[in-house]
Amino acid sequence: MSRASAVSVFPVRAPFLAPRLRLAARVGAAIVGGYAFSWGFIAAGAALLFKAGMDFHDAEFLSSALGLIAFLVVFLWTFAARRVWLAWVLLAGGGALLAAVASLVQASIV
Amino acid sequence: MHDGVYAGWLLAAALLTSVAGMGWLALAMQVHGRQVWGQPASVGDARLLRLLGASALATALLLCLLVDHATMAVLVWVMSLAAAAVLVAFTLAWRAHWLGALAPWVRARAGRAG
Amino acid sequence: MASHSDNVVGQSFRQAMAWLHTWFGLVLGFVLMAAFFFGALSVFDREFDRWAIPSTRFEPQPMPSYERILRPAFERMQPTRQAVDAMRPRVEGEMPARFDTVGSWSAYTTHRDPVLALFAGYQVPNAKDPDELIWADATIDPRDGTPLPDDSLKVGSGFFYPMHYSLTLDWKNLGIWIVGLSALVMLAALVSGVVMHRKLFREIFTFRPGKGGLRSVLDLHNLTGVVALPFHFFFAFTGLLIFSAAYFFPVGHTQLHDLHDLHAEVEARELGLPHKRAGVPAGLADVDAMVADAQRRWEARGMAGDVGFLVLQHVGDANGYVSVYRAGTDRIALVGQGIHYKASSGELIREDPVATPVGKVAEFLTGLHLQHFRHWLLRWLYVLGGLLGAVCIATGFVFFVEKRKRQHAKQGSQGARIVDALAVTTVTGMVLAALGILVANRLLPLDLPARGDWERYAFWAVWALALVHAGLRSAPVARGLSNPAWREQCWAIVALALAAVALNWISTGDHLLRTIGAGYWPVAGVDLALLATAAVAGATATALRRRATAARNAPVATRRGETAHA
Repeated sequence: MSRASAVSVFPVRAPFLAPRLRLAARVGAAIVGGYAFSWGFIAAGAALLFKAGMDFHDAEFLSSALGLIAFLVVFLWTFAARRVWLAWVLLAGGGALLAAVASLVQASIV
Repeated sequence: MHDGVYAGWLLAAALLTSVAGMGWLALAMQVHGRQVWGQPASVGDARLLRLLGASALATALLLCLLVDHATMAVLVWVMSLAAAAVLVAFTLAWRAHWLGALAPWVRARAGRAG
Repeated sequence: MASHSDNVVGQSFRQAMAWLHTWFGLVLGFVLMAAFFFGALSVFDREFDRWAIPSTRFEPQPMPSYERILRPAFERMQPTRQAVDAMRPRVEGEMPARFDTVGSWSAYTTHRDPVLALFAGYQVPNAKDPDELIWADATIDPRDGTPLPDDSLKVGSGFFYPMHYSLTLDWKNLGIWIVGLSALVMLAALVSGVVMHRKLFREIFTFRPGKGGLRSVLDLHNLTGVVALPFHFFFAFTGLLIFSAAYFFPVGHTQLHDLHDLHAEVEARELGLPHKRAGVPAGLADVDAMVADAQRRWEARGMAGDVGFLVLQHVGDANGYVSVYRAGTDRIALVGQGIHYKASSGELIREDPVATPVGKVAEFLTGLHLQHFRHWLLRWLYVLGGLLGAVCIATGFVFFVEKRKRQHAKQGSQGARIVDALAVTTVTGMVLAALGILVANRLLPLDLPARGDWERYAFWAVWALALVHAGLRSAPVARGLSNPAWREQCWAIVALALAAVALNWISTGDHLLRTIGAGYWPVAGVDLALLATAAVAGATATALRRRATAARNAPVATRRGETAHA
């Protein structure tokens, strides 16, 4: 979204408002988006490892360990990302996708 | 495994070896050589110091492994490296010339050179 | 193409990391100070308990006899009224006056515990989740079964320790989430710090106190951060990991609940350890004989050891079993080598095999953080790590303020002043609060009802006072000068630390000569640490006063300007 259109969408104080809103969106992506992504990662990982034969608590633990590292990575990446909206889409969308995989795997076992 | 006085001596030795190791590694660096001797160690001396340093740190790990279960020994070693590095850094900050005692042959060479 | 003129965090990766490190480090740094400082104190949590509860100042004890000591103690236990009230929303219908169907009875001890922690979980009739238990806990003297009064606050394990992982903010586990977020930010700050500080190994020994000002502060910040980088990283990471399945990412209890239950049923069948009660009453065989048998079996495997954890599952039921776990005193794992017996007959059901590779890693990572092992050098090295972390964060605050205060003074901004006041509060103020609870612990009358609550109020009151003092004294920072509150609170630390040692002597008679002479290190150690704290605080206050006098007397022209951040 270019600067010009940002000015036309928001009221007069746009030059002050837009950067802060964008920053808030970025922080939100890092924390909330990152959390959603990590949840999906951990759920999918645990379900897949369990399906592959690992003990459930081992699967949950290993998945959590990798998931926390994943959270750190995406958290850092979100601050370096050029487009905040893309970060949101990838993290929230990716998280939802991974969570769906987890539920599908669970349905295939139980 | 971990029995009293014997273990205590080994751990003390491990700590001292870590300190020496960190000290030698520091002395090999140009900036710290200058702090201690007024000039950095020669290329040959620096290489020897780095070798001594690395060997000392490896020896410290071995000493730790002699005392404890491997899972604990590794943690003791990593933390001893941190403590040793801090000690060396503070020594360089306030009493840099003390560190020279770890490599007395270097000062002698610098003195002879003039 | 997206415009970057409104990109607050910066154009390049390095700039973005610097922004993240500065601002998230600042905001969450206040929480991290508490996590690191109280974490460092928690290494010696049980020793603080001994200091705070003089009646427990005796030698650590092994797990006592079930028949003589544990059974009567367990039978006396019932959940507190608070626990019952907390459970009420998850129950449909009436709650009984007494809980009699025992889910499990357990006792946990380590090589540092004179007193024994007991836990009892009871089934709750009419509970929405029939698997959920209501819990009661108690502490007893294992030599004779005498219970410790409920409101004897264990200042170490019951206050400093929960303070470090939850700030004792229990409402909806909010504190755990806040500390969790700060742990994630800690990891991000470490990585972003490495990105910013490229010459990691070349400058690992670099500390130039002589240079003064920003350079010295930054050197110390880098030194304390880099030298203990593995420690800082692993403690933040394992802290998050330990709470992950229970609080942050409870996938097994929510989305993957079905998989979890399936696993539990399969495992119960395979291991012969029933997951649920049979509903058929049965007696209990000789538990002490089972414990003795377990110890014989460990010895036969070449790992003789003490009992760390004893659990009686489904008490009074035909499906009941007794689990005996070995204390991990000589290794990183907390407990292990569990041996399980049928409760009604005492026959062996199963000896736990060696853990799976992932299980071993889990034990290592958990045990590394929770430290129930016996290794005094490693414990003190952990305290060093915690203090290095605290210094890293504190120097971060000081750097932030020093870098901006002259600029803010010119602009008439209060920013640097506010941060400085908050920094004083979380550095010296936090130490004062910890000392405050120790002093209150010695001053409050022993028979005061809810004594533990009053001790906690004292802690928060001292901290609040420190905040007010720091705020009121911080006006000079808005003019580009130093806050005198730093050295004033240092002197307060000297006073409170010495008072704590003196009060221990006066109220219990256990002065240093006596405790050192008797070799009772838990109490001697705390007193010595208090004296060392006073010495460090006094030296710091003196150095700060000297610097303030020098700054006042130095002619304007020779005062150093800011050094730009590299």
